[in-house]
Amino acid sequence: MSPDAPHPAHSEREHQPAVSRHRRIARRVSGFILDYLVALPIGCAAALLWANTLPESYYRFERVMNFPVNDIGIAFFFALITKEVAEATLPDGALHPWRRAALPAVAAIGGVVVSIATYLLFLQSAGEPMLMGGWPAAAAIDIPGSYVIVRLIFKRHPAVPFLLLLAISADAIGLVCVAVFQTGGDAQPVIGLALMAIAVGLAAGLRRGKVNSFWPYLLVPGTLSWFALFLGGVHPALALVPIIPFLPHARRDRGLFVEPTPQAHDTLTLFERWWRLPVEGVLLLFGLVNAGVPLHGLEAGVWALPVAGLVRPFGILAAAWLAIAAGLHVPHGFGWRDLLVVGCATSIGLVFALFFSTAVMPLGPVLLEMKLGALITIAGGGVAFVVARLLHVGRFAR
Amino acid sequence: MKDRVYRFHVAQRWRGPGIRLLATLVLLWSSWWTVSAQVSTLPSKADSVKFAAIGDAGTGDPPQYDIANQMARLHTTFPFDRVIMLGDNIYGGQSANDLIKKFSQPYKVLLDQGVKFYASLGNHDDPVNIRYPLWNMQGQRYYDYATKNVRFFALDSNKVDKKELDWLENELKNSKEDWKVCYFHHPLYSDARTHGPSIDVRVVFEPLFVTYGVNVVFAGHEHVYERLTPQKGIYYFIEGAGGELRKGDIKRSSTTAAAFDQDQSFLLVEIDGNRLSFQAISRTGVTVDSGTIERQARAQGQELTSEGGRR
Repeated sequence: MSPDAPHPAHSEREHQPAVSRHRRIARRVSGFILDYLVALPIGCAAALLWANTLPESYYRFERVMNFPVNDIGIAFFFALITKEVAEATLPDGALHPWRRAALPAVAAIGGVVVSIATYLLFLQSAGEPMLMGGWPAAAAIDIPGSYVIVRLIFKRHPAVPFLLLLAISADAIGLVCVAVFQTGGDAQPVIGLALMAIAVGLAAGLRRGKVNSFWPYLLVPGTLSWFALFLGGVHPALALVPIIPFLPHARRDRGLFVEPTPQAHDTLTLFERWWRLPVEGVLLLFGLVNAGVPLHGLEAGVWALPVAGLVRPFGILAAAWLAIAAGLHVPHGFGWRDLLVVGCATSIGLVFALFFSTAVMPLGPVLLEMKLGALITIAGGGVAFVVARLLHVGRFAR
Repeated sequence: MKDRVYRFHVAQRWRGPGIRLLATLVLLWSSWWTVSAQVSTLPSKADSVKFAAIGDAGTGDPPQYDIANQMARLHTTFPFDRVIMLGDNIYGGQSANDLIKKFSQPYKVLLDQGVKFYASLGNHDDPVNIRYPLWNMQGQRYYDYATKNVRFFALDSNKVDKKELDWLENELKNSKEDWKVCYFHHPLYSDARTHGPSIDVRVVFEPLFVTYGVNVVFAGHEHVYERLTPQKGIYYFIEGAGGELRKGDIKRSSTTAAAFDQDQSFLLVEIDGNRLSFQAISRTGVTVDSGTIERQARAQGQELTSEGGRR
């Protein structure tokens, strides 16, 4: 509704608090998250509808679009995530100093180990050994998705940065697993490493030369990095991850996924502003290309990723308990019940689980099972709400 | 045998001459039917290529053993020298003991007579079994081999990567044999309710099959037997009831040429010159489908032209 449109006086009074509250929330949460919440579900829903009504045309489209979306386009989504992580290492950031991330990182290791073990055990007992090669996908946590759930439950609370650090750590472990254990058969790691060294060197040179436009960083070192990973047998969607930290940035962090102020003109912020809309399109296409799975004739393997996600909180709790016993400190005002709810929110794999699945599994029915499992992990958000309500945590506190 | 003895006793119990005559006739007919049902109707020519096809077999349960026994019985009259396995060759546990219980023990008679098994992998198979020597997979997920005028392509439909597609294109292009037979687990076309066709695999395999003139495709996954009307000129068979069974799973459509979903089954095939004869046989030895198809006439790169199987 247009803000200039006339409203009856009583209606205006009734709706004003709600509208202003929503505006306040929208201002606090970055447009990136809001875009994510709109574009991706639309893409996923369209893909499910298309794949289950006109499957042949859908799979032809998927085959044509797979490479440009999954190997090139999604690199810019990971670039925006990397930008948030790079900024979090600045003063006032959640990762500054690094030791603040120690407990979430240890908790993430516990979560990853337990979810991968659960994934493998489930497949073993279900008699679905073909899916076992997809184990890195069990590490995936959807950063924006779980962030939104935790934010809705806790509002402003130490649980929010804790969740983000945990999710970033788990995905980093998963990405390393993909890179190390799932390299392509025709990989040329020496050439890849040499090209990557040149790319990083050029990015450092641009930073040293005080180049403030983000385009040279993307076009030269970014492109070189893409070829380095491609030739090295590592998924090239991660091409901008080693380049983004070299972009000139602000002195202090505003907070993870917080909307930049209009006055901010540092290179990293300009990069985010320019790429937010295209990445919205990429997310829509990513959902469209990857979420099209048949909803009939489900095999037991479909449930491997959701089950792994649901068991993950226990790994997180166990690792956190060990870490605290070893001397690490819990953030002030953050208890075990909060940690359990955060753990439940991390069971959402969505984009990251879809990405990991396509990175480790070639096309075919096995990949479709994994993809459907990745989509089902959305239910983890509901589980987090139910657990929060039962434990009277966050917005449900008495 | 027990069944026939039982029927004989029933006949003896009835003393009336008319009833006794009727019972004797029924006994004779049922004996003839039982014996005739276990005889192959295939030409069984001396120089032909003869093989059997089983899919979704490796349960280790009695029906798998029944099918294996039927295969062994028919092997005496139709001496096939190979069995193509259409995936899900071992369900559940995949240990050495499981391989014995669910493979080498049920097919022992055939293995002892020198019949070779050539496997493709299903979604329930452990990929490490590509090295199981009795499956002759040469340690590969996909491979090909030829005998006389037939080349077989065993493919992996679980995980179809670029490497497999490039390999398949190259092998199909260079194949000089008259018949190109592909087999794998997930059917490209299917009228079964549970899974239906694997269209994601179809969009990558079918263009190659059409371009390079694949004649016949065998698949499993659906726990039924089905012969489909030719699709883009290619004959498609589903035989996924070699151990598992989904009773009543077929939903007949215009693409169903013949189907059987009431009992476990297997397929016998003979290729002689330009003719392929087939016979689908149930666990009790009843022929549920049979016929002959002609090798399709086409130039490479054109769709095959065929009229389909004849009963």
